[in-house]
Amino acid sequence: MEMFIQTLVAGILIGGVYALIGLGMTLIMGVMRIINLAHGQLMMVAMYITFVLYEFLGLDPYYSLLIAPPLLFLLGAAIQKYFLNPLLKIDSVIPQNQILMTVGVGIVLTETIRFIFHSDYKSVKTSYSSSTFMIGSISWNVPMVVAFGLAVLLTACLFFFLLKTDTGKSVRATAQNKDAAMVMGINAEWITQLTYGLGAAMAAAGGTLLLPIYYLFPDVGAPFTLKAFIITVLGGLGSTVGAIFGGLVLGVAESLGATYISMALKDAFGMVIFVLVLVFLPGGLKTLTKV
Amino acid sequence: MKKYCGIALGLTLAIFLLGACERPPESAKVGIILPGTGEKAKFGEIEKKSFEMALEEINAAGGINGKKLEFLYEDDTGRPDVARAAAEKLLTKEGVVMLGGGYGSSETFAIAGVAQQDRVPFLVSTGSDNKITERKWDYVFRLNQPVSDYSKALESFLTDIVKPQKVAILYENTNFGSSGSKTFQETCERLKFQVVMNEGYQSGGVDFKPLLVKVKQANPDVVYMVSYLMDASLIMKQSMELQLSPKVFVGGGAGFTLPEFGQNAGKAGELVYSATLWYQTLPYPGAKEYYEKFIQKYKMDTEYHGAEGYSSAYVIADALKRAKTLSPEDVRESLTGTDLMTVFGPVKFVAYEKMTNQNKLPTYLVQWINGKLEMVWPKETATKPYVYPIDWEKVWK
Repeated sequence: MEMFIQTLVAGILIGGVYALIGLGMTLIMGVMRIINLAHGQLMMVAMYITFVLYEFLGLDPYYSLLIAPPLLFLLGAAIQKYFLNPLLKIDSVIPQNQILMTVGVGIVLTETIRFIFHSDYKSVKTSYSSSTFMIGSISWNVPMVVAFGLAVLLTACLFFFLLKTDTGKSVRATAQNKDAAMVMGINAEWITQLTYGLGAAMAAAGGTLLLPIYYLFPDVGAPFTLKAFIITVLGGLGSTVGAIFGGLVLGVAESLGATYISMALKDAFGMVIFVLVLVFLPGGLKTLTKV
Repeated sequence: MKKYCGIALGLTLAIFLLGACERPPESAKVGIILPGTGEKAKFGEIEKKSFEMALEEINAAGGINGKKLEFLYEDDTGRPDVARAAAEKLLTKEGVVMLGGGYGSSETFAIAGVAQQDRVPFLVSTGSDNKITERKWDYVFRLNQPVSDYSKALESFLTDIVKPQKVAILYENTNFGSSGSKTFQETCERLKFQVVMNEGYQSGGVDFKPLLVKVKQANPDVVYMVSYLMDASLIMKQSMELQLSPKVFVGGGAGFTLPEFGQNAGKAGELVYSATLWYQTLPYPGAKEYYEKFIQKYKMDTEYHGAEGYSSAYVIADALKRAKTLSPEDVRESLTGTDLMTVFGPVKFVAYEKMTNQNKLPTYLVQWINGKLEMVWPKETATKPYVYPIDWEKVWK
């Protein structure tokens, strides 16, 4: 029983961070109808920003939450403005050639970082990186709990933004029907930039929260792109609530699978769920809710 | 346009011809094949730099009986097919006297096949799979210990000191990891230790707790891990968080002896044991000097891979010096008569177990004590007494 609870706790905590990363992707998916395959790479860039701030200015990774996500917001908005939006105006054989562009952007980001920092592994060592507290016989890792808490908080903020503010409503309107939104006077181009920036910022927050417990190297992004993709499909394309549950489901499934089947197959569990959802619940978890 | 093409072609040809003429005839050429790109590049780099350093010293001391020694490097990119092509290129195009290097086992095996077929000697410096010297290939020599010897020191430490009942093995699910875990499982069976768990994991994971929770339930005396650097650090950190406390944690080489492990794992890496093939405090002449000179020259750390490369260069130079002529046959002849003291230990090619032309060296056990890697076993070469039994609660406080 203790083993089961510990596994569940580990799964839920990591699931919170997955959800945060997945949310960014699902947001972009909802508005632009494309999968952002540079998502993990954007997260990687944010991790390097956090790392540099820590290494050279001694700034605690949690303070970087105020710096890295805004910077990534700008980077994301710029990518959208200068690389993705121009493609909309071009007729091409593949209707969604923006997806291909995101792959390219991802490669460029990875190689640029590799050029600057080399392939060496880096990590941030804080006083609390390995600190834990025990509730009963279950161990809780402090940075994991903090990451989970902040992930929940950021998600709540995003919800507030989407549901209550005018800009948020414009984002949702664009997601629902772009043409109608434009007819109503919404600047759709600006909304896409905003959304991509927001998505990038969410990924950045996820990366920054992950840094005290993980490590970084230029190729760290790709596995997270894949995870975000699975979460997006799991939750139902474009559904924010779905993404949160998708993240948690993925985290818990990975943990339980690793404990009760084999950790060597960890990544396989995500893919199995991915396939099962596509077969049995093509709309994702969002079909089970109303939001 | 055509005219320019002609000029360009002429120039290129001229450069080629000049290049061919310029080569000094008075040099002994040896091909060195190491990974220069790809995942294994980091170790390949340490080894290559060590070869370079030795080469400078050898040539400064007069080279090979007055001739200059020259190393031609090829990158095997960590792939056997590329390694094979590189060996063939060096032998046919460059006409090298012999080959050296060989990092990954599969690549080394591919090179050894070419060398044997073309009857040119090959001195292996790192590739550790047993089969490389088990084929009775008389042109293949090996400086380093074969993989089956890696855990020799650990075995005696476990049977003499720890006397464990139950052992858990964790490994990354790659060739390297699974073969390492299989060898250790066999060792445990031979020594009558009960293996309560033998499980692989996917390299690069964020959260190893599910795996470690299982280890905790199995409650082993020894946790043996075959992991690369960052997984190794994370596993130790998370073991500390879960207060997983076996009698000893043992790393099967690889990630656990690198300086970065100490930096990344911090106090979670404290008192972890690891098997190793070489350490700079060993009482071999020049070991310490090599270590210090390397750090001073290249401003980066070196470890046993570097010592292997450095020593290989000296063994090659020694064999070439003693050879009657620089024909592959004579060089092979002279390699069999090698009896040289190097920074990596005494080198002599003998036949033992199923292997031939194999250098026989002891292996060692190191332990992280106060953030420094110290040699603790066998006792004769220890720099510090081993810390055992370990009170983990105190260490991790």
